[in-house]
Amino acid sequence: MTAAGAVWVYAERHGESFRPVSLEILGHARSLASELGAPLVALTVGSGEGAANELARYGADEVVAVDHPLLVRYDTKLFTDLLEHELRDADPSVLLLGATRDGQDLAGRIAVRLRTGLTAHVTSLEVNAEKHLVGWVPGFGGGIEAGVVCPNRRPAIVTVRPGVFVAPTPQSIPGAVRFVRPPIDDRAFGTRRVAFELKGTSVDLTRSEVLVVGGRGTDGDFARLQRLAHLIGAEVGATRVATDSGWVERERMIGQTGVVTRPKVAVILGASGAVQFTVGIEKAGFVIAVNRDPDAPIFESADLGVVGDLAPIVDRLVKDLAEA
Amino acid sequence: MLPSESKPLVWNDELWDDLCRTTDAAACFQCGSCTATCPLAERGTLNIRQLIRLGAFGDGAPGLWSCTTCAQCNVGCPRGVDVVEVVRHLRARGWKRNDVPAGLRPLLWAEFQDGNPYRLPPSQRAAWMRGLSGAETGTSEGASTVLYVGCTASYDPRAQRTARALARVLAAAEVPFRILGDKEVCCGETPRALGVDGLFRDLSSRNAETLRSVGATRVVTISPHCFDALKDGLGDQVEVVHYSQLLDELLSGGKLKLSGYRPGVLTYHDPCYLGRQHGVYEPPRRLLESAGAKIVEMPRSRRWALCCGGGGGNMWRESTGEVRLADQRVAEARDTGATVLATACPFCVTCFSGAQTPGRGHLDIVDVAEVVARAAGVPV
Amino acid sequence: MRTIVCLKVVPRPEEVRVNLEAKTLERSGVRSVINPADLNALEIALALRDRHGGRVTVLSMGPPSFEPYLRVALAVGADEAVLLSDRAFGGADTLATSYTLAEGVRTLGGADLVVCGEESSDGGTSQVPQGIAEWLGFSQATYVDSLEVPVVGTLRARRVLEDGTETLELPLPAVVSVLGGANEVRFIDYDRWSMAQQASVRVIDAAALGADPAALGLKGSPTVVAGLREVRKPGRRREVLTLAPEAAAARLAEELRRLGVAHA
Repeated sequence: MTAAGAVWVYAERHGESFRPVSLEILGHARSLASELGAPLVALTVGSGEGAANELARYGADEVVAVDHPLLVRYDTKLFTDLLEHELRDADPSVLLLGATRDGQDLAGRIAVRLRTGLTAHVTSLEVNAEKHLVGWVPGFGGGIEAGVVCPNRRPAIVTVRPGVFVAPTPQSIPGAVRFVRPPIDDRAFGTRRVAFELKGTSVDLTRSEVLVVGGRGTDGDFARLQRLAHLIGAEVGATRVATDSGWVERERMIGQTGVVTRPKVAVILGASGAVQFTVGIEKAGFVIAVNRDPDAPIFESADLGVVGDLAPIVDRLVKDLAEA
Repeated sequence: MLPSESKPLVWNDELWDDLCRTTDAAACFQCGSCTATCPLAERGTLNIRQLIRLGAFGDGAPGLWSCTTCAQCNVGCPRGVDVVEVVRHLRARGWKRNDVPAGLRPLLWAEFQDGNPYRLPPSQRAAWMRGLSGAETGTSEGASTVLYVGCTASYDPRAQRTARALARVLAAAEVPFRILGDKEVCCGETPRALGVDGLFRDLSSRNAETLRSVGATRVVTISPHCFDALKDGLGDQVEVVHYSQLLDELLSGGKLKLSGYRPGVLTYHDPCYLGRQHGVYEPPRRLLESAGAKIVEMPRSRRWALCCGGGGGNMWRESTGEVRLADQRVAEARDTGATVLATACPFCVTCFSGAQTPGRGHLDIVDVAEVVARAAGVPV
Repeated sequence: MRTIVCLKVVPRPEEVRVNLEAKTLERSGVRSVINPADLNALEIALALRDRHGGRVTVLSMGPPSFEPYLRVALAVGADEAVLLSDRAFGGADTLATSYTLAEGVRTLGGADLVVCGEESSDGGTSQVPQGIAEWLGFSQATYVDSLEVPVVGTLRARRVLEDGTETLELPLPAVVSVLGGANEVRFIDYDRWSMAQQASVRVIDAAALGADPAALGLKGSPTVVAGLREVRKPGRRREVLTLAPEAAAARLAEELRRLGVAHA
């Protein structure tokens, strides 16, 4: 029997493995569980024996693997029912889930099923002096974060976005794995999946972590930008001027009538920085800009700006990066 | 000619009557003078004569949304039809059917919710004032002249320079003025041009309320589009002028001293909403000449100036023609031998600055206010 | 088909201010907008009505100051606007909020479809639609960008997931959360404007809702804000250098390595 008062982490299946965010949470949950003096349990649904055994190496004391041949895809009703069963049985004090699409689909439903509290999209998780889990959530304006607790209901459910925590390295000695085989059939599903389309390899700048963006100053030479992009794992974007001129596909256009991006790093080359463009990169983590015009407005929207001709600078930069 | 495979079009009396009731379309006798002079007709993008005709059949015609509302068509119409009004009315029908090009709905929502087309925060509307001090900031006690900055000059970094230059010139000329700050909302010209009169009236009344609350008797605009829209929406309540008219007045009254700036060989582009539509041709030219410019005129100037392509909602759409109007106009400017292209509209400045003319020398795109500022010795 | 669109009015993101004492969001003096994703939800509901007929009701939970925003929804095309408003609803977390809205749906006589924006931009938890579905016992589909009713009683919903899109069929009644930006929202029909201003917005208070008072508002909220803290949020550094190409390249390479993207 799984101990009551434990910290549970829902490990979301992804192909033959798990979503990275689930492992990230598991890593952090290890220290939370220690602080609470509670066992750490990883719960997974439909992942198969191999993956469940692999999951056991990521820090949990126990893995509860709910498995059945029919469990090949996520379904709200089915997963909520399965989770409810395990949670009522084990009565954990905390349940953590990754804020993925399916994760949130599930979290919101199970929280109401259990009539308990849910704190979403935390950017950090701590244990306070009262031994309660505190989830910090942003979005209160002016750089204020709120610390949210759920003192009177259990489990306290918290969702965490990908990239907030860091995945642990797998250990050589795994935790225990307990398999649960629920007696389900087709009728347990609430939906019927009629189609699934994998995303093609078409350009999606909204997912890119690094962007190299070219404007008028490239004079149409996007090959140069591609060389730089390749070295820093970037996708290539463009301003309206560049796509209007036919230098790159319209799908790559960033800005108000194009794509709004939120990369970690954006390198803006030869773009003046008109407002219709900058609305597409203002959410970037760090912005680097190169432009020949010292008065170019792009420098207002950049963290690091270099005034100069982009061709020789980029050629030299490509050489530097390639040689290192 | 319609392809024989297409369905026959059916004349719709109701639609035609409606068009005749709300516009001068009944006077049109399909002579085609409008198409002959329309800058987009050359590109096959828009056949304005046919557009009016198709207004009786109900379906929007191709090119309906490409019209920049430059009103060149109105100049040549022998029957005095306000052709632009017909375009607006046909666009209004598109909105009624929820049949409009992609990108325009979000634009209107931005105007409605944010008070500007850029989806930028209303609280940042006065951010252009960075670096200004004292009288330049438009806080003169009891001033009854309001400098209406407009969305582009408020938010677009390039146009913000024009706003700052003008504020400094007004302060240097000791003209007391106020600005509305973050209470200012869009003049509504773009929604009006797109055929959404209701939004234009909503925005007008919001500005009217604010102007009333500060006791404004005169409004000076930076953009000719704002000039036209505010005149249309509020002209009976306040005096509305374009800045070139005010500065010209100050110049002739000896309150503005310009000297020393020699911008060299310069050509001036008449913005559609200042020149052709309101007949304001000389004030900007006088200002430029007093500043020391030698003006070389483009063949198509004044009433026949070629539109920059920014009007009619086209600042926010991707161009469909092979050669953009702005590219053509910039080429015409270069052909005069000028090294400076001056104009008096933030849309024109934006369009020309983005124009592609590879392999030619550098052409400085400037706003008249900036030339005046330099000649008046204030920082730009 | 009877559709209810849940609408929330949120402070403009850049104007969000927190009331440090009450530990809630400040609303007075702050400009507000209809939560953007809720407009996408409204559009999807109106598009369904265009195809299948029926009625679209907008439902919101909030103070009387939300009314003008509901009237905007009427001007866009909604048939009816309902506001759940009572002090007792205030301070609600996601459990209490979804409960209150679900009770609102019940009070309105139920619905075939409840549509919400996926997330609200002020403290958006992305969980209210799922909560409403559970309280009502409806099926659910989240992160949807398109809906169809292929046959009466069945909803076909396309969900946008990390790896691709999945199209599900689920039985009505259902709750759907709509992806922000999933569609272009039709604009206000100004011919409806004065009707919208004069229409009566039905206001339902706690008594009229007939819900369990212990499950409403602060009382019904298992989660509480225990504290607030400041997070340093850097603006742009705006460091601008003028360097010869070699020095510029070296500086940029250094920065790219520091940022961890140079793989060197």
